[in-house]
This record gives sequence, structure tokens and C-alpha cells, in this order.
Amino acid sequence: MKPSYIQITPNLGELLWNLPPSDELLALQLAYMDFLQSDWADELMSLRMGFTRISLQWKSPTSQEKFNRIVPNHQVSPKPLSKKVWEIPVCYSPELGEDLNELAKEKQILVEELIALHATPTYRIHFFGFLPGFFYLNGLHPLLHAPRKPIPRLSVPSGTVAIGGSQTGIYPRESPGGWHLIGQSPIVLFDPLRSPPVWAKYGDQVKFIPIDLAKFQSWSHDIPTFYLS
Amino acid sequence: MNLSLGKARIVFTAPGTSIQDAGRHHVASIGIPTAGVMDQKSYAWANHVLQNEENAAVLEISQPGLTLVFDHPTELSFAGAKVQIFLNGEAYNSGNTLLIRAGDEVKLGKFYSGRWLYLGIKSGFVTEKFYDSRSDFPFISRKFFRETGDILPYLPIDYSPQRNASPKWNTSWFEDEEVVAYRGPDWSLLSGELQQQLLKGSFRISTHSNRMGIQLEDLLPNTLPELPTNPVFPGTVQLSSGGKLMVLMRDAGLTGGYPRILQLSEDSISKIAQKRPGEVVRFHLE
Repeated sequence: MKPSYIQITPNLGELLWNLPPSDELLALQLAYMDFLQSDWADELMSLRMGFTRISLQWKSPTSQEKFNRIVPNHQVSPKPLSKKVWEIPVCYSPELGEDLNELAKEKQILVEELIALHATPTYRIHFFGFLPGFFYLNGLHPLLHAPRKPIPRLSVPSGTVAIGGSQTGIYPRESPGGWHLIGQSPIVLFDPLRSPPVWAKYGDQVKFIPIDLAKFQSWSHDIPTFYLS
Repeated sequence: MNLSLGKARIVFTAPGTSIQDAGRHHVASIGIPTAGVMDQKSYAWANHVLQNEENAAVLEISQPGLTLVFDHPTELSFAGAKVQIFLNGEAYNSGNTLLIRAGDEVKLGKFYSGRWLYLGIKSGFVTEKFYDSRSDFPFISRKFFRETGDILPYLPIDYSPQRNASPKWNTSWFEDEEVVAYRGPDWSLLSGELQQQLLKGSFRISTHSNRMGIQLEDLLPNTLPELPTNPVFPGTVQLSSGGKLMVLMRDAGLTGGYPRILQLSEDSISKIAQKRPGEVVRFHLE
């Protein structure tokens, strides 16, 4: 499970694991992130994570050369993953998720079944990307995988819960988007005036809790509650 | 020492004007894009000629017509796109720095070449900082871009700098077609034939180009798979399943699922930033 390192440009490189996204891989990535933040922070311009990679932007090419030499011998032990499970209320309805009915029809299942398939698993937060506060989740039921729309919508409302490829997520703000919209959450995912502006961390888990339209409209908490698994 | 701030009032601007600096580099972990100037090379020059700090904030402008009125003395610099400049209604052709007295009006005319003009100011604009940067970015800074009527604060100068020769306003570096690129992390997924097409072809800049990314018009048909979402950077060239090449720029999201086939050199990011729709680029592998 040791990563390899590729140099892309004199200042940019990537740790890569040739494995599918999983909790086990995430635990290794997070251990590597801790190591990089404690031992290499001064030499790094920025550090970014994806499902199977960690990208490192170096302040100087010499730092990258130095790092490249230590990688093959460096051992990390997986970091135990968070036990936090955030409960995120979602109103699944065609008014708030325009593609809900059509996606169920394509999958030849009832809308209720689609909702149950989406709201049953606990999903793992792997990293933030795309937009400020957008988290990438792993754990979507294979039956719900759906290729991205060929033509993205110009505008998807803030809080929309959607499915794209093998992933599901919540748009933290109004944005263009090519995913299938199935509902909306009243939760605020990113508040620039709060410190930190996001409530979740890499490795936390998420569970979607179906709520009806009345509850959605009267929802008054910006931050979801959590329990420990 | 004069502690009151100078104010530059935007009497008119077309869309696309923003305050930018070197951007945000330490908040990627919560999904905040870097932002910052599109063309770092011209930005560095605009600050250098005024002896500003490296990360001083400048105004980034992409369309003619911008009109500013200054209420305190200062000094300005211009870099990037070659643009016609008027000082109090008269054409100004004396180089890329300009001394301003209280009440002076600066107006931009025609863009002769290039896409982004950098208007630097002595000591930098002192607009509000968000996460250690003044770069305008939707939902992070209070302003997403700058509009007619806005006020831009700056530190006034209380001396008259003497400058005999104004440095040359050089645009030739972005005029040829070659952009230097490194093999991206997913380069090896391309067949030898596709690699050749990419390196031998010329690609037109499409009108779908903005601070997030520059789409290229000419397609590169392929059968590459979608990949697990992984990090991308300004200068990453992605290839979509429909064959579209997309050069990610400063406001792009931090991660993407399309194959990342090339990564432009820093200078070439600045260069492609200055290309206008319809102009052509060729990739040269480093």
C-alpha cells in the first residue's frame, strides 16, 4: 500500500495509489497528509487531496527532489478514521430535485426505493473540492450510479443533493452542474463568516435523513447534528 | 505621514473587472480555489516597476472603457494587454507608469493585443482581505467583481517620484503560438496516436473562456474513461469524453474527474491567459 510519487513539473508532483477509493486508502492518505503537514509544511505551497492521489505544490524544485528521495523508504501507519456521523436532513421531492422522478424511471425503481437506497448508507467524506465546501462522498449504492448529464444545467440551487457517476454530493451554493438533482437540504455547507467555514472534516461520515417539505421550509439550524458510530 | 486613504472611484466599468493578487494557497483543504491574477508574469511586472511588494493587489481588466478618478496623488503602472490610455481625456503614450495628481481621470480605450490588463498602483490597492488574499472570488470575498460606482482604497504618496525612463511595455512574449507543457498525471492513458495529434495540432481558443478555464475549439476525439476525482491546478489541461480540451485557470475548482493530460508551465499559463478567442496555441512538450 506504499504510494509512488510522480514529478509532473519542477514544482508539482503527486503521490498515487493504484487502488480504488476506499476507507482503507483514505486512512493511508490521511496519515500521509498529517506527515506532510508536520514535516514538509514550510516547503509546500499547497497540498490537495483526491480519491486516489495527494498533489503537492512545492515552493522550490529542490524541495521536490529531496522529497522524491525519501518517499520509497517512508512508512506510514493508517490513521484511524473519524467516528463522527453527521445527520443531514434532505427533502427528496420533484419540486426540489428536478431529476428525481426521471432517475427512478431510468433505474426502473419506485421513487420511494430510490430515496431509501440513497438515505440508508453512511457515506464517507474523502475531501473537499469543486466548490468551497463541496465534499466528495464514497458509498453510493451501485444501482444509483448514473453518468453525468451530457449538457450541464447552467444553474443548480444551493443545497441541492445530486448524483453524478458513482458519487453523490450537495451543492454548497448556486452553481452550474451536470449531476442528477434528487432533493435539497436546508443545511448551510459553507459559511465564509464562520471559522472554520465548514463543519465537517475529511474522514467524517454523513447520513441523509429524509424530511418532508413542511419540515424543509421551517428548518432553522445551519449546522447538522452528529452522533458517534 | 498621511494616514487617510486615497480613493479611486470607478466612474465606469464593463463586466470582468476585479481586484486580484497572488491568490489563496492555504485553504485548498476546505475547497476554496486559488483565484489570483490570470497572468502572473504581467502582474509581477506591474508591481516590480512600482517597487511594490510581490503580492500587492492590482486591478485586472478585460474590456475597454474603464474610467477611474483618483482623489489623492499616486503612481500607476500598466502591464499585460496593450491598451490605449487616456489621462484627463488626452492620449498617454509615455510608457507603462503614470504619475497621478488629486482629481486625475484615467480612462482605457482600445485593447490592441492581449486579454487582461493589469493596473498596478503604488503600494497596492488596500481592499478587504479574505483568507489572507484580496482576490475577488464569488462567495469568498464580499465583492465578486468590481462595478461602476465602486470605490477602491489605496495608500496615497506624499512625494513626487522622479523617473526619467519608463520601462518598456513588452507584449511580444505572449504573441507566438507555442505553450510549454509537461506530461500530466494521466498522459499515459492517451494512445501514441492521440499524443501525436495533441502535439502536432493547433488549437483555437474558444469564446467559452473565463477566469475558471479556457476551452479549446478543436476537438480530440477519444475513448478515455472518467476517472476517480483527483486534484487539478491552474494550468491543468483536461480532456473530456466529448473530446473537449479545457485549460483550467485561476478560479477553477480544486478537483476534477476528467483525465489530466497536460500541465502548463507557469509562464505558459500567463501566456495562454493573454490569448483572445480565435487565436491559436500549439503544445510543446518540455
